Amino acid sequence: MTTLLGWLAGLGLAAGLAMGFGVAPREVTQGNVQRIMYVHVPAVWVAYLAFTVGLVASIAYLARRRPGVDRLAHAACEVGTVFLGVNIVTGAIWGKPTWGTWWTWDARLTSVAVVFVMFLAYLLLRGAIEDRERGARYAAVLGIVAALNIPLVHFSVYWWRTLHQPPSLLKPGASTIPPVILTALLVNFVALALLGAYFVARRARVLAAEEEALA
Amino acid sequence: MMPDHWGFVAAAYAVTAIILGGYWRMLVRKERELATLGTGTRVRTEAGVGTDPTSRTRQPSETGHPRPEPGSRPPLP
Amino acid sequence: MAWKDLVIERRSKETLNALLFFSLALLFVFQFALGPDRERLASVLPGLLWLGFILSGVLGLGRAFLVERENDCWEALLLTPGDKSAIYLGKLVSSLALMAVVEALVLGLFVVFFDVDFAPALPGLALVIGLGTVGIAAVGTLFAAMTAQVRARELLFPVLLLPVLVPVLLGTVEATEALLLREPLAAVSHWLKLLVAADVVYLTVGLLTFDVILEG
Repeated sequence: MTTLLGWLAGLGLAAGLAMGFGVAPREVTQGNVQRIMYVHVPAVWVAYLAFTVGLVASIAYLARRRPGVDRLAHAACEVGTVFLGVNIVTGAIWGKPTWGTWWTWDARLTSVAVVFVMFLAYLLLRGAIEDRERGARYAAVLGIVAALNIPLVHFSVYWWRTLHQPPSLLKPGASTIPPVILTALLVNFVALALLGAYFVARRARVLAAEEEALA
Repeated sequence: MMPDHWGFVAAAYAVTAIILGGYWRMLVRKERELATLGTGTRVRTEAGVGTDPTSRTRQPSETGHPRPEPGSRPPLP
Repeated sequence: MAWKDLVIERRSKETLNALLFFSLALLFVFQFALGPDRERLASVLPGLLWLGFILSGVLGLGRAFLVERENDCWEALLLTPGDKSAIYLGKLVSSLALMAVVEALVLGLFVVFFDVDFAPALPGLALVIGLGTVGIAAVGTLFAAMTAQVRARELLFPVLLLPVLVPVLLGTVEATEALLLREPLAAVSHWLKLLVAADVVYLTVGLLTFDVILEG
């Protein structure tokens, strides 16, 4: 099953690259540097998908206390953090030619950075507790708090950046994205999501093997 | 019109490949280590059963998590 | 629970004193770090205020379970029959009381040392400070219990708490800034709603999961 996921992910990545470089046109305002978006944006979608899985798994673990569910939560949160890292770094690389600086405290970069640090702390907690069962319980609670905090982070940071604008602006105005670009984004999202699922499956397997090795 | 900055595009995809590839390599490496570790201890315990005066009968853990043996835990990465 | 509350408060005199001196020291640090420029100070005042509140909060909350830990009462806490969320509420209320005292004092110090006039904005400010403090204490109490028995607790506790508190920090600072600029409360209603939402989330999770933390 895991191997199948891996192969599907590989196929997806190939398709994604084809879409991003072959099919998608040169963007009107930004030029070809915009193609970074095809990995930058899907990465954060995959990360947040992973954290949602982590949230559900954490709640499920607290309800039923099945170790496999805890391993899923751990793996999902870790993989999500990795994909957030990809998003942040590609965001900086995209920002340098377009904005002239590696980092700006704009709403998206900042909120992603905060979520990244939150889940780094999650991984730190996991590493700091030796007792497996207690670690699972505590991490589940932290995973729930962190995941539920994500929308709060996003809103607060977004309002912080759009100073003195009417608070009715809940979301950035829906920009009209050309369908072909949207399709390329979606294909890359599916590809990265498959890769993420593959990573989660393998990571959970490693965690299970680690526990086996201690038994 | 903006210049194309293909260097940055390449850098972004390269860094992504490094991060995701690096994570994948880490997973593969850990799995390999744990596989050899597993076979190693299995051989050891087969030889040691019955002759080890400190061996205790292990009771199944209530929570399903294996109980960590003091001192036998490899350091967490 | 009220009894436990009072006992904790009487014991926490040492924490209270330490926090007061810490706030005073922080004030001096702010002044020296930012120099004599009045304008610059005035513009960052809301941020400084909440930096002071949050840092004091982190220090104070980090010690929330210190008494139980040092006197080997932790096991007693774990064995308490009944709903452990009552312990959460008790700790929360005592932490709130502690933080309220420190905050009131910090406000006073700001008035004296930075020549700030909080009076016109005070009702709105009290609301913002109240909402923010509840948020800080709600998560802080939960995380304090979580890190109480962990090896690197002095490091892990702030590392866990501060990123999670970013929305509360942003909401309170922005709202405070607006209120100090004599804007009406309605102008910051979105921030207030955010703070309320955050408080509800943190309190709910805290109440529901505190039992889990105290399982062992």
